[in-house]
Amino acid sequence: MSRKAMTVLAFGLWWVNPIMAQESIPAQDMVIKAIPLKGVSKVRIRHRMDMDGMVMNENKDRLPFGCKEISEDVQFTVHAGRKYARKFNGKMFAYDQQEWNVKPCSRITIKFVNDDHIRHQFMIHGLLPYLYPPTGMFNIEVSGPGSKTASLIVSDQPKTHLVHCELAQHTEYGMKAQLKVAGGYGDLSSVPGITAAKTPDYYEVDWTANRLTILVGAGLLGVLVIFALQKWK
Amino acid sequence: MKSKSVLIILLSMAILVWIVTLIFPLLDGRGGIDAPSTVKVLPKNSTENSETDQVEKLCGSMREEWRTEKEIDGVDINESSRCNPDNPWAIAAFVKGTNNVSMRTLMNTRLASDAVLKNNDKDGDGDPDEIHITLEVAELNGSSPDGDFVLPTYNIAPGIQPGLWVFAPKTRGMAMIDVFSTEAIGDLRAPSPVIRVEQGDTIKITLENTHYLPHTIHLHGVDHPYLDPKGKGNDGVPFVDGSPVLPGESKTYWIKPRQTGTMFYHCHVQTDKHLMMGLQGMFVVEENRPNNWLQTFNVGAGYVRHSSVAVKESYDQEYDLHYQSIDKELNSIVQRFNDPRLIAREMNRVYDMTDASNDYFLLNGHSFPYTLRDSIITVKPDEKIKMRIVNGQDEVLSLHTHGHKATITHYDGVKQPEANRITRDVYTLSPAQRIDLQLDTVNDGLHSYGPGVWLFHNHAEKGISTDGRGPGGDISMIVYQSFLKEDGMPMLQGSDITRFLNPEFYAGKVPIWGQSSEPELLGEPAPMIVEVLPTVALGLILGLLLGLVIWLFLIVSNSRGRKAHE
Repeated sequence: MSRKAMTVLAFGLWWVNPIMAQESIPAQDMVIKAIPLKGVSKVRIRHRMDMDGMVMNENKDRLPFGCKEISEDVQFTVHAGRKYARKFNGKMFAYDQQEWNVKPCSRITIKFVNDDHIRHQFMIHGLLPYLYPPTGMFNIEVSGPGSKTASLIVSDQPKTHLVHCELAQHTEYGMKAQLKVAGGYGDLSSVPGITAAKTPDYYEVDWTANRLTILVGAGLLGVLVIFALQKWK
Repeated sequence: MKSKSVLIILLSMAILVWIVTLIFPLLDGRGGIDAPSTVKVLPKNSTENSETDQVEKLCGSMREEWRTEKEIDGVDINESSRCNPDNPWAIAAFVKGTNNVSMRTLMNTRLASDAVLKNNDKDGDGDPDEIHITLEVAELNGSSPDGDFVLPTYNIAPGIQPGLWVFAPKTRGMAMIDVFSTEAIGDLRAPSPVIRVEQGDTIKITLENTHYLPHTIHLHGVDHPYLDPKGKGNDGVPFVDGSPVLPGESKTYWIKPRQTGTMFYHCHVQTDKHLMMGLQGMFVVEENRPNNWLQTFNVGAGYVRHSSVAVKESYDQEYDLHYQSIDKELNSIVQRFNDPRLIAREMNRVYDMTDASNDYFLLNGHSFPYTLRDSIITVKPDEKIKMRIVNGQDEVLSLHTHGHKATITHYDGVKQPEANRITRDVYTLSPAQRIDLQLDTVNDGLHSYGPGVWLFHNHAEKGISTDGRGPGGDISMIVYQSFLKEDGMPMLQGSDITRFLNPEFYAGKVPIWGQSSEPELLGEPAPMIVEVLPTVALGLILGLLLGLVIWLFLIVSNSRGRKAHE
């Protein structure tokens, strides 16, 4: 079971990360290989941590190799909390938006507001590992009610980044979104309001008398159509 | 003429049927003069065995640097010789408080900086008297809408991943160890952590409900006021003293315990389900002493690497033992659905606990053989060991120690007068009950029979099975130092236990004695070989019978047709 899950996860990461796809490095070796490949000698995970939460891998000024300059400065505010899940039936936690679109090489400054009294995260995956070591991840975590602001710079390649809260089962219960660079590479599954689940829940089906009548009526109509066709012939 | 041929046909059919009854015993699997031979089960290290790659390492992933005796940020942490010990940096953070340890220590853990806050030495006795503990709720082995797998994963035994809910110290970052793994981080495991506080301290316990269903904390047996200083309910019973803590919300419980002892805490929302899902932990109130810095959390229970001053006064070692049982029918509900409304319906209105029976039995969150990785008791001769035991099962626990008779010093946290103490070798605990045991390793034939590797386990026999297969369940061992190997595993004189690290074993696919010294005697019999001659005979006769039936049918229908014609 867990090996299968790992394969799915590794494939998912490979798929959303064109760097890895282009060089076809197995996901497991990515950490070791991707760093010297880019000629970066020292890698440091940048942590900013206090009682209210933390920011991991903030990047205000280091450009990806494919970018000559920052194309545009984007700022957005993201809210997180149970109340944003109300519009999605069967979900418990959510962000107030589920998709963001930015240009390649843009610098994004995110104000992440937590409206709950528990911890939430705004975690982006699939970024360039040499700028967001060791796995290409950026994270804003807010410990309780409050907010934190941090910036990152995206690459020059089209890409759909997974954005989620990585607390146990928060992604699965609705806190999942996508950040698309240059239109992205398709959609992720089970993003609330955007895509369906790969393994859906099944609900009772309410076959009312009305719907059964319609079904039978439509069936009779079909017979009549054949009958009419024969007559016409 | 017609009736004559019909008669012949019927007669030959009868003869054929009689021959079939003669041939059938040759093919229906009954053992004749020679029963089938024994299937050859290859030894586990054989390259021909396809199961080999499934067998896990005895010690799992081992961290040598976590085992040695340490001083971290001024906190003394005992050596822990078992192969999967607790993270010593986390222990230092629990002792000093996450607000008082160095950033370097905190970065060696996955704890949030506000997991355990320790402040204000009010009585000037050298230890903090205001403690603020924050707990989150984590679901382990839950479902995913993105595929047919569970996460974050936590195995209780090889290949076994039941859905579980646990209280956990507030952590930071991901719930899984990294982006390439679905394995839960070390702080997210069963059982819910043991909480240790000092008598007379002002303790706030904040429940941050990170789960998708409502929960509370009920402090079973711990001295706590019915209402907190703000006049809000403090007993954690939703239909009595206030509404439960909804997802995304938090609530702080307030205590200043006057009495000491081994207690219990659990969720009191739909208790029959939520407690059995794993929202239960041990709660210890330690005696007040000067300079008494306590290890506020003992994640995963087990050996206490930084005991209280009072325990160190009278004992050489201290262990927390938490017993739990799991009904896989209940615990799989969170794996079968993703919509919280469907889970709530299935769990509370469809599942019926009165028809349920337990499948898994855990000691400190693991079943044998995983118990050997983190929950063995390692002793030397002439030691005095304190064992705190809680029964979190929904049935009686009859704990038995091989080779030892221990003394019950406390019932439900209350100290027994010396004269009333009972020394025995089966210790009975009703559900939710606690006892404190004093284990003496004095080799006098009563308290101990001498050095060795001695089992301790639930003697209610299903407790030593895992889904009906054994040895499994809550079996663990008291291991004397002279019988302890370098890697923290006991030195065994019996058969190789690595075969129990094969998920196939607990799936019931491996014969128990298939690799014993005389496998032919007790291994798996091969299936009967289908002999060619009787097969041909049976097929031929069945064919003849079919032909005769058709012939008969034709004769009858022909005569009818002729009659109708006439």
